[in-house]
Amino acid sequence: MATGIPSRAGSSGPREIRIGNHMSEIARVAAMVESFGADHELPSEVIVALNVSLDEILNNIISYAYEDAERHDIVVRLEMRHERYADLEVVVEDDGKAFNPLTVPPPDFGAKPRADGGVGLHFVRKLTDELTYSRRDGINQLRLVKKLAE
Amino acid sequence: MKLVEEVTEDVTIVEAYGRLDSTTATEFGDRLISLVQGGRRSLVVDLKNIAYISSAGFRALLIANRATAEKQGKLALCGVIGEVKRLFDIGNFTDEFLICPTQAEGIGRLRQ
Repeated sequence: MATGIPSRAGSSGPREIRIGNHMSEIARVAAMVESFGADHELPSEVIVALNVSLDEILNNIISYAYEDAERHDIVVRLEMRHERYADLEVVVEDDGKAFNPLTVPPPDFGAKPRADGGVGLHFVRKLTDELTYSRRDGINQLRLVKKLAE
Repeated sequence: MKLVEEVTEDVTIVEAYGRLDSTTATEFGDRLISLVQGGRRSLVVDLKNIAYISSAGFRALLIANRATAEKQGKLALCGVIGEVKRLFDIGNFTDEFLICPTQAEGIGRLRQ
């Protein structure tokens, strides 16, 4: 699960957290996003978009990615970028079974009674500006980009 | 997640604070269901102090809504504002619930 970019202390660099595959661990990610957001004075809309997206993605991984009962690490990395315009890149890596969330069809909002499933990835698509999936050496990597200014 | 409950004669008001996500949805949903099963059939759930709701939280709300209907009760939501309102719209959840602007209006609707 080595990721190449070391996590750095301080308020301006990239931020990384490694959590176990347990639902309660998502609270640590949410706390990191909020602290990162405060350091960068991000609008609450952006913090909410990131936290909802990460909740959906991590819930999916923790619920479905593992076929054993072992502990697995999931890495979440946040980075501000100031290239053509300011944006925020979020990378999630897990060593679960291969799963490309971009292949999941959108939910059927016409279904009655309302189906419980399918809306999670719809939230991720609507709340982020770019989504990329790759798999390399047994690691799923999902990359999200959230634009901050035009 | 923190829940503050106020019990009036016929309506129970539940004010939720914090995040309604994968880490809190079960506790939140279980509390609403246990109120309904304990005979509190009119619930107003105030979401104005909720930072955000993910699909796990919406699932808990849908289940509580159905459980209330099965007991011939009613569940009203209020405080659906700001980012939470936006998430209701994105997830197409607005039509699934009785949504009232304030607690008082929610109580009024449940007493009709």
